[in-house]
Formats: sequence, structure tokens, C-alpha cells
Amino acid sequence: MTILLTARGVSRRYAGRFVLEPCDLELRAGEAVALAGPNGAGKTTLLSILAGALEPTTGRVESSGRIGWAPQRPALYSKLTARENVELFARLEGVPALPTDLPDRPAATLSVGQRQRLNLALALLGSPGLLLLDEPTASLDPMRRAELWAHLEELRAGGGAVCFATQDFEEIRRADRVGRIDDGRLVFQ
Amino acid sequence: MRPALLLLRKDLRVLRRSPFLLAVLLAYPLVIAGLVGLVASYANAKPRVALVDDDTLPSRITVGGRTFHVERTIDRVAQEVTLVRLEGEEAERQLRSGRIVALLRVPRGFVADLRSMARSPRLELETTRGGLSVRVTQQVQSLVYQLNRQLEDAYVEANLEYIDLLIEGGTGTFLGREFDVLGLKRAEALLEELPPGPRLDRIREFVRVASAALGATDDALRATANPIELVEADDEGRTWVLSAQAQSYALALTISFLALLLAAAALAAERDEGVLARLRRGLAGPGELVAAKTALAAAAAVALGLGIVLAFGAIIELGGVEGGQPWSRVPLLVLGLALAGAAFGGLGALVGALARDARTASLVAILGVLPIVFLGLVPREVAPAAASVSDAFPFAHALRFFTAALFDLDPLRATLREGAWLLALALLFCAAARSAVARLG
Repeated sequence: MTILLTARGVSRRYAGRFVLEPCDLELRAGEAVALAGPNGAGKTTLLSILAGALEPTTGRVESSGRIGWAPQRPALYSKLTARENVELFARLEGVPALPTDLPDRPAATLSVGQRQRLNLALALLGSPGLLLLDEPTASLDPMRRAELWAHLEELRAGGGAVCFATQDFEEIRRADRVGRIDDGRLVFQ
Repeated sequence: MRPALLLLRKDLRVLRRSPFLLAVLLAYPLVIAGLVGLVASYANAKPRVALVDDDTLPSRITVGGRTFHVERTIDRVAQEVTLVRLEGEEAERQLRSGRIVALLRVPRGFVADLRSMARSPRLELETTRGGLSVRVTQQVQSLVYQLNRQLEDAYVEANLEYIDLLIEGGTGTFLGREFDVLGLKRAEALLEELPPGPRLDRIREFVRVASAALGATDDALRATANPIELVEADDEGRTWVLSAQAQSYALALTISFLALLLAAAALAAERDEGVLARLRRGLAGPGELVAAKTALAAAAAVALGLGIVLAFGAIIELGGVEGGQPWSRVPLLVLGLALAGAAFGGLGALVGALARDARTASLVAILGVLPIVFLGLVPREVAPAAASVSDAFPFAHALRFFTAALFDLDPLRATLREGAWLLALALLFCAAARSAVARLG
């Protein structure tokens, strides 16, 4: 199977303490990998390093193809409307902007769920082959959750992959592999 | 640089959607500029000086036949200081505690000396040490000068009366004693009655020359009393509020606050909203991010600076104030505004990168800009060390650039020098900010 992303010996230290111990990870085409673990275990840190949003203290990450990333806390400009956010990030990424059905008003005035949908829409810009999602369904209603999972199944079927952090057992069951992170240590079950 | 331009457009759009923030950013520096103006005018306020009257000045004094109302005369001449009548002991106490800045004593015998016109009466001055003492001494010297101006006319008149007495003859008084003078004219008449002779002719010639010479004494005496006379013309040119200096201060102050705060808050806001992490994924590098914030600060500085220049210019043109606005210098000024905005923008980006969040960044920017501004206002002659520290920040350079650009006869040299300083500081701060952004976790 094609390897879409490889992480070797990646770790992260804050204030002299490892919040993520050195670990290895491969993400292959067509698979869904869940990262589970208690709050503050290091899931977000690992996903941020894999996405290239955070520099690892040690190790390196190699990838092929476009990677979409949805952080746990929606990363968007609250004074810009949903459409303007999508257009700006599409231009910055050099990809076409996708139409959005979100209300055309400043992101700060959107509901938590709507902001999370915008966060996911930004991750999907440019139709990435690999998605890194940090608790993507946390604020979504059941219908939107179903839509998201349908989209992720489509992605996998098309040779893409998804790695997501979650604390939901139902979602863990959807994964091909589950990596448990506890106190910064990643162990695959 | 495309990402930098996209981020700049986004920042301008965000700024336009924050009218309250925009209003505060515009109003705040103008309020500060006004307060600095008030402080400057306070520095010119009249210092309190105690008047200790050991000679018990009468309400009126007659000198050379002219009567002076003491209180009115003092009020008329004491325009640069506030004179407060105090007892000697109380005045000494207040001088030591700093409630008054000087003590002017009228010693015993002052009025007698004044009336005698034979000896200069003395006033004694004591001042506090340091800061204001030089200024107060100058102001009291000015007060004494004004008093002398009032008295010299009386003295001249009195002296002229004596000369008139010598020419015409009659009864006069000196030091309270009355005396009778024959006078040159009456002496000449008496000489006419005597039989002619060579010795008498010589005496007649002397009396004639002496009469003519003393007759011309009037103008000579007045000229001697005032070798140089200062004639004060009517006020012309700009008032202080519209002065070149005030305009330069207003520009430099406003740009400093606006550019520093804007760049610091804009960069820290990227972090607050979590967007910095998204941008760092190859969408915009640290250099492009800092460039966008610096460009935002420079653009805002040019826009606001031009607004201030146009407002000043309109008031000056409509008011018909002399020394009008030098419109042809505006392009040079725009260059200075952009450079000053960029230098403060670079510094603001550094603050924004070092601060943890937008609130901290704004607070640090405000706390930081005030000492930078006040350091820039300290004259180099007063505190060379403060001026050297100030050289490491853009405010003083911006102030000198604006002053030269707007009002120097030949602004090229000064604007080139200060422009080079501003450019160097902008590059330095941007490089430091870029490094700080790259290290953000």
C-alpha cells in the first residue's frame, strides 16, 4: 500500500518535559487511523506535528501529496465571513475555493458547530489525499457527523487516508488502526 | 510576497470592520499629543516667586517728581512670574520645601535709595537649586529690567529738570535741601551789563557754548538711558497650536502609537485565533507574516499622517495664517510617514511575536511607546544619554524627519539622514520579529 505520510522519531518538549515522547507513525492510502487517549495526553501535539503546524523537537515528517488539517480549536479569522475565510485560505494555498452553505457573516457570530464546519471546510480545500482531524465531530450535530463520515469513506475509497483524534468509542470503531497515547507515549493496539 | 499581500488585504479589511478600535487608535494618540502640549504649556507657566518686603513699601512712591503706585507697577511688570507677598520666615520655609521657586527680597533702605537717585537700590534674589532656577533668574532679571524701564523715564525727567534749572535758573531741591540757581541765561544777561574786555568775552563765549550744549542734553540723556531699544511688533505667523513644531509632534506621536499598537495587536491576534499554526504549514512564512504587519502599519501611518497634514493645512489656509502649509513637501512627508510607520511596525511585530496574546501585546506596546516618545522629547543638550538611547528607536528620527520635510529651507540632508535611520531600524526590528515568529511554539 502507498505510504502517504511517515513520521520518524518525532517528539516535542515543553519546559524541559516531553509532552510527546519520540514515536514513529506511517499513514497508508485507504486507511483510517484513530488516536485515542485522555485529555492532555499528546494527541493534538502529534497531529499538529504531522500537519506541519508545529516543529518537532526531534525526528522528522515526510509526506507525499496534499494534507488537510482541522485543529481541535477552529483556526480561522473571526472578523472575516465564512466565505472570506474560505477564499483567503484557498488563495494562500493556491487552490480553488469551494462554495460553502454557511451564513455569510463574520465567523465570530457563527455557532460553535458552524465554526467547526468552517474549520473542516478549510481542511478540505484543494481536495487533500490525507486528512488530519483533531476531534472533528465534537461540536457537530448527528446529521453533519454522518455527512463527515460519508465524506471520509469516500476519501478512503479514492485512495486517501484519514488520521483523527477522538475520545468517542463509536468513532474509534470506524478506524483500521488505533493508536493510544498516554502521557506522551504512543502505542498501537 | 503574494501571501504577504493577501494577509495585508485581510488585515485592512479586518481594520475597516473594527470602527471602535479604529476610532480609539485615531483618538488616543491625538489625546496624548494634546496632553503633551498641555505639559509643554505648563512648563511655560508662571513660577511662584515670594516677595518679601523688609522695607515696608508705601502704597505710592514719588521718584523724580513722578508718583508710582507700587502694587499696580509690580502687577504691570511681573508678567512672567506670580509674585506672592510673604513674611521673610514663611518665604524661607516655602523656598526650602519647593512651594515657591524663588524669593525676591526688598531690603531695608530700598525706598530711600530709590528716592535719593544718588545710589542704585538693591533687590535680593534667592532661588531653589537645579531645574527651574536658571529660568526663574532670567524671569526675575526680566522683572527688574521692566521696573528699571518704568523708573528710568522718571530719572531722566528729573535729571533734565536739573539741567533746565542750570540753563534757566530758579529754585531747586536735592536730597531734600532747597537751593537757588542763577542759571546760564540770567548769567549771560548779567554779563551783558558789564564793560567789554577780552577776559569777559571768553566768559561770555563759555556761557553761550554751555547753554547750547546743555540744550542738546535731552536727546543724549534719553539715548544713554536706552542704548538699544527693543521695539515689540504685533504677533505674526502661526500660533503655538498651529506651529510647525506642534504639527511635527502630532504626526510623530500619532504614527508612533498607531503603528506600534496596530502591528503588535495584528500579529498577536493571528496567534490568538490559532491561525498562525495554519499559516505556518507553508502558507505564509515568518518573513511574509512580519512583512504584512509592517506594511499594514506603514499604510495606516501614511493614511493617518496625510489626514493630519490635510487637516492642519486646511485650517492654516482657511484661517489665512502666515507661514502657510508647504504643500510641495507632502510627497517627501509621505516617504517619511511610510518609513516611520514601517520602523514602528517592525517594532510592533516584534512585540506581537514576543507577547503571549493580543491583550498582552497591546499593553506592552502602550507601556513601551510612552517612554520611547518621552525619551525622544528630551533635548540632547539636557540629557545626552537619553538622546543616545532614543536614537535606537524610531520616534526622534521620525520627529526630525517630519520637521525637516515640512519646514527646513533645504530638507535634503536632514531627511536623508533620518530616513536612513528609520530604514535601518525598520530592517533591524523586522529581522528580530521574523526570528521571534519563527520560534513561536
